[in-house]
Amino acid sequence: MGDLVSFDHATLGYGRRVILSDLSFTIPEGDFLGMVGPNGAGKTTILRAILRTLEPLSGAVTHAPGIRFGYVPQRDQVDYNFPLTVIDVVMMGRYDRIGLGRRPGANDRQLARAALDHVGIVELADEPLTALSGGQKQRTLIARALVGQPNVLVLDEPTSGMDLVSTTQILGLVRELHERDKLTVLMVSHALNEVANYVERIALVVNGGFRIGTVDEIMNESVLSDMYRIPVDVANINGHRVVVARREGQTLPVSDV
Amino acid sequence: MFEAVLLFKDALYGAVVIGLACSVLGVYVVLRRIVFVGAALAQLSSAGIALALWLAGNGWMLGISTRPIALALILTIAGVLFFGAGSGRGKVPPDATIGVTYAVAAAVGIILISKATTGEAHDIFLQGNILGITRGDTMVLLAVAIPVLLAHALFYKEFLFVSFDRETARTLGYRVNFWNLLLYLTLGLVIAFAMQFAGVMLVFNFLVLPAVTGLLVSRSMAGTFFWSIVSALTAAVIGFSLSVPFDLPSGPAIIAVSGVLVLVAFLVRLRQRR
Repeated sequence: MGDLVSFDHATLGYGRRVILSDLSFTIPEGDFLGMVGPNGAGKTTILRAILRTLEPLSGAVTHAPGIRFGYVPQRDQVDYNFPLTVIDVVMMGRYDRIGLGRRPGANDRQLARAALDHVGIVELADEPLTALSGGQKQRTLIARALVGQPNVLVLDEPTSGMDLVSTTQILGLVRELHERDKLTVLMVSHALNEVANYVERIALVVNGGFRIGTVDEIMNESVLSDMYRIPVDVANINGHRVVVARREGQTLPVSDV
Repeated sequence: MFEAVLLFKDALYGAVVIGLACSVLGVYVVLRRIVFVGAALAQLSSAGIALALWLAGNGWMLGISTRPIALALILTIAGVLFFGAGSGRGKVPPDATIGVTYAVAAAVGIILISKATTGEAHDIFLQGNILGITRGDTMVLLAVAIPVLLAHALFYKEFLFVSFDRETARTLGYRVNFWNLLLYLTLGLVIAFAMQFAGVMLVFNFLVLPAVTGLLVSRSMAGTFFWSIVSALTAAVIGFSLSVPFDLPSGPAIIAVSGVLVLVAFLVRLRQRR
């Protein structure tokens, strides 16, 4: 399996402002990568370079020929005041394939319904977008990303603002799409504890630093304490990894990770 | 009553064309929350008209007093480029920038018009004079409105996508800045031409109230456009028809009817929710 995206000593930023420098890593086909870091650390900048909407200031970011992204934006980037039905929104994922000045046809509608079925909300196809819950809105945006038949599914903060149940369901759905459809997935989040238990690899973007590796390589006290610059503990609760910042003078009982 | 209205039928046709074009664009104006961009562009257009009259009044560019639309267009397009290309990441918030433009353009327009010494009924250029629309004016309005509406019919999905979710549109290869600029350009064109006849207040009304009516009544984009157009045309015809026999100012009469239609739509929406 080849690399879909390759960063080769890429420096990223806007104008003369450098956000991250000398990044070298790849996203191979079939990867399930979580990109984690606090707000403002540069995750979105890397994401833009991956999505080809930002050119590197130096170095190179190369993409495999024919690569197609299915992008799921942060929920608040979408304006829910628009009087659109769920299927209207999903069909937007086909717009670039339909061509300039042409309208979606019966085939596009059929594919949109199939994508909605894939994410488990086909019965909501004709409902207004405004009537949906947070989790249903996120499934709609995932269906829109899938209807374009992408090779890489990219999700930006997919569980932001969601409750525990919706978060678990959405992350479960993403994992299912990766395993069932063999879809390459990149998930961006500030919530390390959520992402770490679903993905196969983690890219940490913290304090101007960048580190990428398997979950085992990243989710340990040494790496995380070094990256976050505070002592942390990594606990194992029923097979789930949980990272907590260590309070002064206190150490959590940590089981084997 | 109808004979009196028929005397001004060209003016009525003109109002209908302005209402039609503005009510379609108004759906984007309201949904994108750029209502005051519409108002600022209208003020820039009126400042352009005032500038043309002031220049002509001082003996410069005399020919321009008969075609003030030229300067109105230049200032409006400058506003379009400014607002359309804005990233919103500057130190001054976008709504404050719009407010500054609106206030300065309005003040400059009023100052220039007060110092203009030629041209008839200067304030009519600023406040609009629907009754003065001739058949020739209506043809000019149609020549602007038809290509703009055709562009909106043809590129509906492009305008919709970049308005609804620009980041995703960008990842699918859409040139978001181009489509935004084109949308603003169509808005600027319609405003600049409509302003000459309808004035700031009526153009602003046609950009906002019919679209609000459409959004209150309908749950789909097609329905919103349909009810926005129906509402604008109804307000134009009823408002105009009432203004002539009762000797009311036409613009405010049309706006009053638009207001009533918004209220009716609001009540319909309330009833739908029960």
